Amino acid sequence: MKQVEDSEILEKFSNEKTRNEAFNLLLSKYQQKIYWHIRRLVIDHDDADDLVQDVFIKVWKNLEKFRSDSQLYTWIYRIATNESITFLNKKKQRNNIPLDEVSGELNETLVASDYFNGDKIQMKLQKAMLTLPEKQRLIFNMKYFDELKYEEISEITGTSVGALKASFHIAVKKIEAFMLNDDINF
Amino acid sequence: MGENLENNEWVKGDFPGETGFTTPDNYFAGLTERINARVFTEQMKSTVPANGGYTVPAGYFENLTSAILAKTTNENALPQRKIVRLWHSKLLKYASAACFLLIAGSGLYFNIQQQPVNYADLAAEQMLYDIDEQVIIEHIEANQATQPKSSAADAELENYILNNYSQNDLVTGL
Repeated sequence: MKQVEDSEILEKFSNEKTRNEAFNLLLSKYQQKIYWHIRRLVIDHDDADDLVQDVFIKVWKNLEKFRSDSQLYTWIYRIATNESITFLNKKKQRNNIPLDEVSGELNETLVASDYFNGDKIQMKLQKAMLTLPEKQRLIFNMKYFDELKYEEISEITGTSVGALKASFHIAVKKIEAFMLNDDINF
Repeated sequence: MGENLENNEWVKGDFPGETGFTTPDNYFAGLTERINARVFTEQMKSTVPANGGYTVPAGYFENLTSAILAKTTNENALPQRKIVRLWHSKLLKYASAACFLLIAGSGLYFNIQQQPVNYADLAAEQMLYDIDEQVIIEHIEANQATQPKSSAADAELENYILNNYSQNDLVTGL
């Protein structure tokens, strides 16, 4: 199915008669991408479910004010990223977890999840990613899984392209070391 | 032409060091490492699916669409309540405001008119106002001086007198 262009979605949304249709098009184009982006950050399906709904409610409320300074999908990604990071920060505060131990809790969530059917390598990759600092994990996810360009990640995170390249490279080195370590098995 | 090409410095690789192109500092020092990292990620992509092993409940995305639409577009579909204008013209609006002010002003005026004035209170207040403050203070102090007050209770005082003075003392003293 041919995906509708963002410009067409925005044009339809600006017209009150076709606004609902535009939002339906936007949902069918982006809801799965945004869900997976959030899911890989917060790990738990129920948390991701709540957050993806919050994100699209915000998109609905603010799309009218959206100025085409940035691309539509980077704008939605930015909302999703901010919501996910805010959620993780609140989780740290609520459970009184130090910053470096939040990955431990996400690790437990990953192991206990009913909705993870990856094999040993996939589990090991997810665990390797959870050893990364939050920002590196975010950048690795967007580059590796979402296959976004550095310029797009820069627009979403507000970090320079150079810094993103360095972060991604460091993240890959850490993950590689983790994956090649035969002592870590599942 | 062919001989010329073979003898060309570029083809022989003998070209001078300066080509005009530059690279960032230490670019080649880390290039091998970066290529290896890239190769590693490409290899991983072939073994790890796009979702990284995560799954969702059956029919989740269909329900998600409905859940989001229920909180966004369908919420707006609720029947809009008709807004009835209170004033259809500016003349009516200003006339209403004028009537309100007239009624409120009349009520306030008649209310003030009907309140009885207590002239005695007013005169007493005025008299107190006219007396010098120092005179009032002196008057109060003088009254306090002429009425010494004992800290002891009457019963205690009576006991003390009966215990320490004879009847003769009391008769002569009085």
